[in-house]
Order: sequence, then structure tokens, then C-alpha cells
Amino acid sequence: MLAHRLIDKALKTAQGAQATVQRAESTKVSFENDKLKFVKSTQRTTINVKVVVNGKIGSSHTSDECDADGVVARALEAAAFGSPAHFEFPGPSDGRPVRVYDEAVLGVTREAMVQIGREMMTVVKDYNPDILVSAGINKGVRQTEFANSSGAAYQTQSTSFGVGVHGQWVRGTDILLAGHAFGWKKRDVDYGAIADRAVALFRMAQDTASIETGTFPVIFSPEALEVLVLALRLGFNGKSVFLGASPLAEKLGQKIADARFSLTDDPLIDYASRSSRWDAEGVPRQVTPLIENGVVKNFLYDLDTAGRAGTRTTGHGVGCSPTNLVVKTGDTSWQDMVADTKTGLVVYDVLGLGQGNPISGEFSVNLQLAYKIEDGRIVGRVKDVMLAGNTYDALNNIVAVGDQAEWAGDSLLAPPIQISDLNVVAR
Amino acid sequence: MRQRLEEALRAANADYTEIRVEQVDSSWVHFKGRELDSVGSAKTSGGIVRALVRGGWGYAAFNDLDGLDNRVRQACESARLVGGVEQSRLAEVSPVVDRVSVALDEDFRHVPLSEKKTVIEEYNEIILGYHDKIETSHVAYSDRFRKVWFANSEGTFIEDERPDASLVLSATARDGDNVQQGFETVAGKAGFVIARGHHQKARAAARRAVDLLSAPPVAGGKYTVVINPKLAGVFAHEAFGHLSESDFLYENDRMKEIMVLGKRLGSDKLSIVDDGSIDGLRGTQKYDDEGVPTRKNELIKDGILVGRLHSRETAAKMGEHPTGNARAVGYRYEPIVRMTNTYIDSGDTPFEDMIRDIDLGLYALDMVGGQTAMEMFTFSAAYGYMIRNGEIAELVRDVVLTGNVFETMMHIDLVGDTLVFPPAGGGCGKGGQSPLPVGLGGPHVRILDVVVGGR
Repeated sequence: MLAHRLIDKALKTAQGAQATVQRAESTKVSFENDKLKFVKSTQRTTINVKVVVNGKIGSSHTSDECDADGVVARALEAAAFGSPAHFEFPGPSDGRPVRVYDEAVLGVTREAMVQIGREMMTVVKDYNPDILVSAGINKGVRQTEFANSSGAAYQTQSTSFGVGVHGQWVRGTDILLAGHAFGWKKRDVDYGAIADRAVALFRMAQDTASIETGTFPVIFSPEALEVLVLALRLGFNGKSVFLGASPLAEKLGQKIADARFSLTDDPLIDYASRSSRWDAEGVPRQVTPLIENGVVKNFLYDLDTAGRAGTRTTGHGVGCSPTNLVVKTGDTSWQDMVADTKTGLVVYDVLGLGQGNPISGEFSVNLQLAYKIEDGRIVGRVKDVMLAGNTYDALNNIVAVGDQAEWAGDSLLAPPIQISDLNVVAR
Repeated sequence: MRQRLEEALRAANADYTEIRVEQVDSSWVHFKGRELDSVGSAKTSGGIVRALVRGGWGYAAFNDLDGLDNRVRQACESARLVGGVEQSRLAEVSPVVDRVSVALDEDFRHVPLSEKKTVIEEYNEIILGYHDKIETSHVAYSDRFRKVWFANSEGTFIEDERPDASLVLSATARDGDNVQQGFETVAGKAGFVIARGHHQKARAAARRAVDLLSAPPVAGGKYTVVINPKLAGVFAHEAFGHLSESDFLYENDRMKEIMVLGKRLGSDKLSIVDDGSIDGLRGTQKYDDEGVPTRKNELIKDGILVGRLHSRETAAKMGEHPTGNARAVGYRYEPIVRMTNTYIDSGDTPFEDMIRDIDLGLYALDMVGGQTAMEMFTFSAAYGYMIRNGEIAELVRDVVLTGNVFETMMHIDLVGDTLVFPPAGGGCGKGGQSPLPVGLGGPHVRILDVVVGGR
């Protein structure tokens, strides 16, 4: 293995070393403006080396398999004055197997991918030929070699497959954008259902509704729940906690949300897009409860951050970022959630997420795709409306949690959640 | 390299083929809090082949430079699958053979990592030591030197050097649950000298983070807003600039009607320009990634739409001329229509005259982000001040501006008399290609009736 050769080279100078070699091939088929636009193939090589010399860390990367000497030399150069290492490279560990490879992905031809795109586009065009449609179909396969100086070594193979369809519907100066997408590590993707979902979003937007500035209950669809989850992604990052940048830093064991809200990081869901058996530091992945019944249970750590914070890695190397986030379902059906709302909003997509000061929980976003509820019915799309609030306040003002979870994007599995009294600013 | 690319081009069986190969030298020094978070350097290389067969595009991107012929054949096969009905064609341009090299003041490729670390660490110390409310810092220096070789089947061969260096100085202050950030950025097509001497900026970032702790969030509502040059640049780029990228228009008849040349889109005070040929700015290149020379492109002149940004493909489709705006963020990507350096042109109003008659308004400064979806935009100011009775009043935070670009451009009633290009870090994202270095600029600009999100 190249990874072993890199470590041997590094250990001539370094006391510890880790190497990762990834080789990937992917294919993308893209439809733009109702037409097949391009087919793209990509070959990638990524080689990462991390060394510890006299207790200090150095790292480098390259894309060239012949640059083994160079990448090791650069890592050693950086280690001369790098940050102190607060960890030992971990020894071998089996971890728990998780399915990340689907042979069926490899057999999907470019022609078959084109056909999937055409079928999704047809579904949207059959609904309304005025909608200008774009679609994408991606597949990929990746081999990873990992080894470190403590004897951990593994080789894994993973696949990926994803599709999406989006439309643009222009009426006068009004432009409506809507669509749906999903990807994971398995060939089995119901692209018909994805196109149907896109059509449903357009259908609900046929009429326009207006809402006045004020406070209203707001239902976040799973796709829009990221508005609330973003602050948690950042806040549960062990590095932010250790550095004190996270507002959750001193909240371990404390109740920060409604008792119906539970959040888990789960990298062991078969075929989920962020699943893997080991993290990038060779540490076995594990399921980590973050919030249980409203109470903060754990933060996410990688080796070095855990060492600095005096705790153990949770298998979130490198970077302490979440993998697949799972929000626990509740007991309210979608229908009841809408039916029980006198005046309110359902949000599907926003603009401007992550701007400002997201780790504080503050959000102030433009409603890119949202609908008004009047007397328990969705009556039309709202435009030029901003929604503002704070995640941590919102999670204590939960009205209802949906009884069914769906994948939103490709790394959040969540039910819809309704929040009371959010600030809505209308034009 | 020229010979290698030209030989590989001969393996093509297509109506048009191009190969772009890059070697990228990069280095970085990141502090997070007391300790170095990451320091290092890297070398990567790779490229992309684009082939056009009977109007269909095939692309093949790669890291492995061996077997270039196979990548060319792969792109041609993909193109053949797409082609058929006449779709894409390219506007004619004259073939170019050129070599562009840059001379950097303190070329960052020759500055040792240890020296870079020493300079950056001083800023980090200043931030951390500024005040006991400073919780942590993020001081990130990075540089990237792209050496680009471009060859196409029409005889163009360009060798280009594209350096980019940037420094972000960010401070996080905390008071209980209240966490605030202040930051300053420096960036340019420059050597390591651009990262030196920013002790004042480090202090400014720390001061702002601490000051924002006691600043109230702006009350949501509609205000007369004065935006500073950095935000004016963001507005020109985010709110309007993306609409002038012709790949949004060229196959979309409805959008073409909205964006018809000669139409009034803004008040007569408003002029917007994109210019990829301004010396030293981050969006500057002599040629774009199709080998087309960059130039000054007026987009809005006195409120009237007068131009737009093109690749060779969108120009051919719309019967206009290529503008030098086909850009790729790196070797894995095909060029798409992008901005270069975008700015609002200066007007004639001094800053004092802009705020004098405002009873209650908002002065919004700098940016932490911006996003658009066609005519809707939001952008987030890093901070703001209320304007009360014609004077700058208290500091406010969480300033997010939103609206419909066409209405907002009509509401611009005063444009400042001094055009500046503040050094902006980060970059632009589009079509999965991010961050592309761009330049932004403008004078102070006053806009009536802006929706400000807030609590």
C-alpha cells in the first residue's frame, strides 16, 4: 500500500505518522434549461500525510502518486513549528461494519443516467411545460487506504448515487424556483418520487398569498429544518466548545430544548451519505446522542481536540463535524400540523442561511420557498418575506414534532417541526 | 507542456476540444485560539478536457496527468452521447498565443512557512490580548499560486500565472450566551507583502467583536439604508451581477424579456461595471478560461441595462460578443459565466449629504455573506449603525438586508463621490464552483425602503 510507504518514509524523521490515499472516479450527467447539457467524468487522487515530530504536528497533501517524497517533506517542514499534538495515533480497531458500497452503482451506464434525467424532466414538464427544468444525476466510487504508525490500517470502498430535479417558473417579473434532490451510497433512488415532490412544490405555489409583519407559527419541513439545525452543527463541534465559541460550551447535562426534541449523530446508518466504519483518523465511528429529550448529552470530538479538552474522541476526525444527523420523530401527523394552524407558514427553502453569526443561533433568512396556512389549509406561496429568530429560543417553543422523518439534503434525517411565534417581516 | 497538450489534442475526434492543466502551490497558517490549528503547504495538479461534438459537451477532469490521450477520448465519447440536436456552439474569437507571468513583491512561494507563521501569530496575539471578553480567535492566512496551461483545437495556447493571497482576522467575543464576531480581511493578487502590517486591523476586529456584545440587534422593518463601499460591491455582485451572467438568460425566454438591453432597471444614479482588467484586483486575469481577453463591461449605465457577461457559448446563442467572463475555480471544473471585479460607479454625493436628511435610518457596513435566487437577494452586513436625526447613532448587530433587486435598484436615490475597492477575502460560489476570487467595489450608496430582517 502507498499509505504504508508514506509512513515508512515519514518515520525516518517523525515519531508518529498517518497517511490516507483516496482514489475516486465519478460521472455526472447534467440537464440545463430542458436539455441535456453535458456528461462529465472525474478522476481524483488525494494523498494526505500527517506527522508528529518532537510532539508537534505537520501535514500536507498532494494529488500526485509520484510526489511521495515531496508530500512527506512538506509535512515534516510544517511539523518543525506546528501545533503541539495532544494525542497518540490509535492502534487497530475493528469498529462496527456499515454498508457503504453498492455494486449496482458501478453498472449504471451514462446512457441510463441520461434516461433517468429525461424521465424526471418529463414528470415536471407534463405538469407544466412553462417550467424550465434542470436535472442532475451523479454516481461515484472511491477507494480509501489508511494507515498509521500505531499499526492501524484499513482499505475501504464506497459508492455514491444521487439525483435532483429543479425548475424555474417565471410569471411576469415573478420567478419561482423549486425542486428536490437526494443522494446516498446506494443505486436504489426513487427518482420518480423525487420528481413528484418537485411538482407538488410547484402545485402549491400556483397561487400567491400575503402575510403581514408579525409573529406566527412556522412549520419547518425537513428540507428547511437546517435553518434551526445549522447552529447545532456548529455548536456541538467539540473544537468550538473547547475554544468557548459555542454557546453550548457550559451546557452539558442542561436542558436547552423542549423535551420532545432529540438529536443524534449516526454515522452507522447503512448507505447514508456520511456513513463510514472509521473516521479519517482511523477511529471507529459510533452513534453519539447530542440532545436527548431536550438535554445536552455529548459534543463531537476528534483526536487532537479531545486531547486538548481532556476527553475522548467520538470518531469525528478530523474537524469535530457531524456526520448524519437524526432528529427524533414525534407524534403529530403532517396533516394535523397544518390543520391545527389558524394563520402561519410552511417553509421549504430559504436564502441567506449561515450569514451573520450562525453559531449564536441567530438566523434571519429570506423565504425562498414558503407557503401560507389559513384556517388549516395551505393557500399559496408567500414572497419577499423574512423570517428571523434564534435556534435556541425556537427549540423551546416547539408546537409539534412530525411523526415521520425524511432525508433532507443528504445528511439530515428529520420530521417537520412547528415552532410558535417566530418573527415574520413582510415587505 | 505545449507539445504535450497539442499532441493530446490530436487524439480528439470532436468539433472543438480544449485542455486546461494547472499546477497549484498552496500554503496556509491558521490559528484558532491560542494554538496553531493548521499549518502546511501542498502541491496539487490536474486538468480538464472539454469536447464539443454536434452541439453536445463532454468533460473529463483528472489529477493523473498520464494518459491525457485517454481523457481526451473520454470527453469526446461523452460529448457524442450528448450531441445530436444542434445545441451549443461557440462565438468566434481570434486564437491567442501568449505567456503571462507575474512578478510578486515577496513571492509567497519563497517565503518560509516559519516566517509566515511568525507574522500571522502577531495578529493572533493582538486579538487574544485585546480584552478579557475575547473568547477566541480565528486568524487564517492562505496563498495559492495557480500556473495554468490552456490549449484548444483552434490554435490558442496560453500559459498563465495566477497568484492569490488572503488573510482573515476574526475575533470572537463572549458574554454569557451572547457570542459576537468581528473580522477584517485582506486579499489580493499579490505576494506575501500583502499580509504584513495589519496590526491595526487585528485590533479593529477584536474591538468590533467586543462592541457588538453590547449592541442591540437591529429592529426589523423598512428603512432608508446607506451602505458602505464594501456592501455596495456586494450589492452590485450579489443582487444584480448574477442576473447579468448570460447562462441564466440565454435559454430562458422569460428572463430575456426581463433583462432586455435598453430597459430601465434602476434609478438614473446607478451605473454598474464588471472589469476583469483592473490591475491588482482579485478578479483580474488577462484571459478568461476560454482564452478570451478580459475587458471592461458596462452592465448598467445611468439606470439603463447596457450589457451582460458572456462565455463564448452564451455569446453565440444570443448573437453578442464574448466578454471574457468564462471562468473556472480550478482544474476540476469547466468554465462557466462568472463575474470578475464588479462595482457600482461613483456618483457625486459626499457621505455627509447622504445621511443629513434621514430621521431614522440605517448605516450598514461590510459583509458576512450574500445570496441570491434570481430577483430575490439577501445580504448580511457585518455590523451597522442606526442613523437618527441626520447623525450616526448607536451600533447595531444582525443586520440582514433583503428584497427584490429590480425594486431596490429603482430605490437608489444617492450615490457617493468616492469609488473604492476594499480588499475582500472569500470568493464567489456558483454551480458548485467556490470560492472564485472576485473583486468588489463601490462608493457609499443610499437606498430607500429596504426591508431589514431582525428581531
